Order: sequence, then C-alpha cells, then structure tokens
Amino acid sequence: MSAELPPETTAEAVPRGRAVRRALGRYLRHPGLSLGLFVLVLLSFVAIAAPWLAPHGPTEADLMNTLAHPSGDYVLGTDQYGRDILSRLIWGARISLEVALAVVALSLTFGSLIGAIAGYAGGWLERTMMMGNDILLAFPGFLLALALVAARGSSLENVILAVSIAYTPRVAAVMRSVVITIRPRPFIEASRAIGMSSSRVLLRHVLPNALPPVIVVTTVSAATAILAEAGLSFLGLGVQPPTATWGNIISDGQGFITSNPLISLSAGLCIAVTVIALNLLGDGLRDTLDPQMRRYTGERML
Amino acid sequence: MLRYTARRLLLMSITVIGMVTVVFFLLRAIPGDPASYMLGDYATEESVAALKAELGLDRPVWEQYLGFVKRALTGDLGTSVVTGQPAFDEVLESIPWSAALSVSGIVIAVLAGVPLGVMSAVRHGTFADLFIMFGALVGISFPVFWVGLVCILLLAHEVRLFPALGASSSTDFFTQVHHLMLPALVLGFSVAAYIARLTRSAMLEVLGQDFVRVARAMGVPERRIVYRLALRNALIPVLAVIGVTFAWSLGSAILVEAVFSRPGLGSMILKAVFARDYQLVQAGVFVLASAVVLVNTSLDIVYGWVDPRVSVS
Repeated sequence: MSAELPPETTAEAVPRGRAVRRALGRYLRHPGLSLGLFVLVLLSFVAIAAPWLAPHGPTEADLMNTLAHPSGDYVLGTDQYGRDILSRLIWGARISLEVALAVVALSLTFGSLIGAIAGYAGGWLERTMMMGNDILLAFPGFLLALALVAARGSSLENVILAVSIAYTPRVAAVMRSVVITIRPRPFIEASRAIGMSSSRVLLRHVLPNALPPVIVVTTVSAATAILAEAGLSFLGLGVQPPTATWGNIISDGQGFITSNPLISLSAGLCIAVTVIALNLLGDGLRDTLDPQMRRYTGERML
Repeated sequence: MLRYTARRLLLMSITVIGMVTVVFFLLRAIPGDPASYMLGDYATEESVAALKAELGLDRPVWEQYLGFVKRALTGDLGTSVVTGQPAFDEVLESIPWSAALSVSGIVIAVLAGVPLGVMSAVRHGTFADLFIMFGALVGISFPVFWVGLVCILLLAHEVRLFPALGASSSTDFFTQVHHLMLPALVLGFSVAAYIARLTRSAMLEVLGQDFVRVARAMGVPERRIVYRLALRNALIPVLAVIGVTFAWSLGSAILVEAVFSRPGLGSMILKAVFARDYQLVQAGVFVLASAVVLVNTSLDIVYGWVDPRVSVS
C-alpha cells in the first residue's frame, strides 16, 4: 500500500486513518475517476434492483402494443413482440455487468498467475510460457472469442469463458512485464536471502507490488468484455433470446431502425455509457496509482 | 540487422505453427462428436462415419494433429461441408473484400488518429486536448456495429449520401468504392480513436524527456521541437501501435461486415458458424490470424530498421 501514498506520508509521520483518507481524497479528486465510479455504482444499483425497478417483465409480451412509440405506459416504446424496451434495458444491465465481473475475476486470477510465474521464474519456463501466450495474443481477441463460442455453443457461461480465454493472455503479458522489473529489486533478493520459498516470495511480495498496473488493465478488459459480449449477442452468437441483453436488443431493433430507431439507439447508448465509465475509471486509476505505469498498459490491451 | 530479421522470421514460423495447434483444438472443443454436430440432427450414420474418416476423428489425437499440421502448412485446410469446395479456396475468394475494408479503415485511422494525437499532446491540458480526448473516449466506447447502424440511419436513410449496403454486385470500380466508403469510415473512426489515444501518450512521454528540455533551454523553436525531435521519436511506438490495432481492427471488421451485409472473411466465418461448416471456420480463423502475424512481423522488421536500438537488444 505504501507505494501509493505520497512520500511524505509514511506510517510514522501521519496516523494511518489520515493517510488513507488523504489517499482516498486523491482518487476522488480525479474528475474522470470519480465520474466513472459514480456511473458504475449507479449501474450496479440498477442491475441489482432490476426486478423492482423495471416497470414490466423483460420477456412480458403485449401483443396488442407491438412496436409502440414511447408513451406513459411504455417509456421507451416496445419491440416487435410488444416487450417494454426500458425494462429490457434494465435487465440487460445485469447480463453486461455479470459478464464484466466474471471476465475480470477469471482473467485477473489466471492472467496474473501465469504472468507472475513466467516473469519470476525466468529462463526456459518463461520463454515457453510467453511463447504460448504470444500465440494466443496473435489472434484478434474478438475472433478467438467468436470461434470458441461457435464451438462450445451459445450460452452466458460459454460467452464468459470464451471472452476470458481471449483476454487472459493480455493480462498475463502485462503482469510479466511488470514482474521482470520487480524481480531484481533489493527487497526480493532480501526475502530470498532470509530463506523464503519461491512461492511465498511470489505471493507475498511480487504479486502485491505488481498489482496496480494489472488492475488498470483489468478495468480496461472489463470494458472490452462488455463490448465483446454485446458484439457476440448482436451477431446472434452470444446470450440467446428471449433473455434481454444490450447486444441482442440492438439486433432486435436493427430491422426497425428507420421506423423505431429508439430500440437500437437506446441500447447502444447504455453500452457506451457503461464502457465510457469503465474507461474513465481505468484512465483515472492509471493516473493516480502510478504515472510510471503508462508504459505497461494501454498498448498491451488491444 | 540480418540476424534480427532471421530471428523475427523464425519466431513468426513458430507462432504460425502454434496457431495451427490452437485452430486444431478449436474443432475438438465442440462438446461430444464434432462430426455429428457438423452434419446436424438429420444426418445418416453413414455420412457421419464418412466425415469422421475424412476428419480423421477415428484415429488417435496425436496422429490427427500431425496430419492436420502437415496439411495446413501446405495450404490444405479441409473442404467446406456445405459447398464441397476446398476451404482454402473459399477463404481466398473473400480476402480481397476484407483487405479493401481493413486497409482503407487503417489508412483513415492513421491519417486522422496520428495528427489528432500529436495535437492533443502538444496542447496538453488545454480545451483542444480535452475535446480530442473526449472524442477518442467516445470512439473506443461505442460498439462499432452500433456506430455503423447510426451511420446507416443518418447518412444512408436521412441524408442519402451513401448506400446502406456495404457492397454491390456491380463491377464498376467507383460504385464499389462508393459502397466501401461508409463501412471504411465507421471502422476507421473506432480505430482512429485508439491510435489518437496511444499517439498522445507516446508523444507526451517523449516531450517529457531530457533532450527535449535541453532543446527548449537552448532556444530551439517549439515547432522544430515538436516535429523534428519529438514526433520522430514518438513515431516508433506509434508504428508498433499500428501493428497492434491491425489485429484489433480485423476483429471489429467482422462486426462492420455484418452490419453492412458486406462480403469478406468475417461474414464468411459467420456464415460458416451458422451452417456448422466447421472446417471453413477453422480455415477462416487461421488465415485471419496469420494475416495479423504477417503484418506484425513485417512491422517488427521495419521497426528494427528505423530504430537500430531494437535490433541490437
């Protein structure tokens, strides 16, 4: 933690509570970061409270009112089956955030483990692991996810799995490039000198110190995951109808884009707002956590 | 320099073999029996057995794998179950369509993204910087297929500037270009946003370095600092960025092709996925990924040429 505090606020100089408050203040003063965080908290609330917030059920069809224009009863109108667009958007937030969270959890866990082991071990183990990693990186991420979903079948679990497999190598690459800069530092050498086992050094010292840049990357990967899920669902390969996701709401509305443009437009705006919030959070974290880390992140994430 | 080029090429061959491996296991990732999956629910037992024999599914995995690698490296990627044509030929047919879209998209992206990135780095912290960076943030955050839909709505239906379809059956060059313009602009817009962001941070890093400070202290004019000193140094990472965005743009191109109903590798893969024509999917994925490796290796070699430091380390 101490690496994130300004140099004058060491544990001795300032009581811990104040140091934490000061660090928190630094994050919250960053306009992009706090705006992104605010939007994400709001969205999570909407997603969690979907059953109570949504005026209609997400798959509840009102066949008397298909393709209705906005009205008091249907704030954003209805689709071709007479389902309320607003309710579907609210339920769609659940799928998008679920995908983002699951992909982050999976790719952060496996990516940072793979990257840390490779970077810390060095030698032939590093070379072989990174060779495999580079091969997976050579595939366009979206293409790899698409091919995996096509093979495994379309379901929420398979979409999460496929997107995670496609984006884990990116996290691993960043993790490794950070770890190789930490490995030669004196405190690692010292821990080894006092007889700590490799796995202990890795878990206690290397991983925590390498985490900040990796956290930035995973924030960005959450954004890419949401876009990938939306893309797959739009193509009809992601989460299957009638489940409401932002991607398949856009594809539902595609046929009615001239008569009822609101269907596709509103769902696209939802995706964009979420992804902008995640990118703002990622950019903000990169600025505040450690300006030095610009080198590792960014370019690596595409 | 020669050694560096040779090492790059060796690395490329290893990567390509690795990609063949990944593609091989993609087919095996199909749960249950790939042959009966590919032929659908109404397949006869004989046809399933025949396809199994053709795919070599009745032999041990390592034998299948070696055979697959050997055939793939000689350009034999199996036959399409739907058309009966060699999969590789089908892929070749769609390459010109994809190449036209990707190349024009990247060109638009570089022409727009690099100058905007430089401008926002030079005017760091001003309103112009904020404006460009906000535009770039929007560009990377809107789903590319949605941007495509909106463009169709606005520029093809409201203002009839472009056709809504991304391709026409006419062989007239100008008609084709007219159909290509909107898809290329949409793809270029989202890639330009990435390039602008990355150019900006590369440029800021160079502008903060000591030799720039020294030049400023010596009274070198700001224009000269930006264009002669900083930009030339920043272009090297930007070159690498273009390589990375190329892979990314091929992924987005699938979605752009789908929105504009444009033929190409992406739509071919999609069609094959829905037809369960899995050998064609394999072939398409392999060729797309190989294109990425080829472009990145060439860029790496150019990179080593432009910047001698790279080839030495």
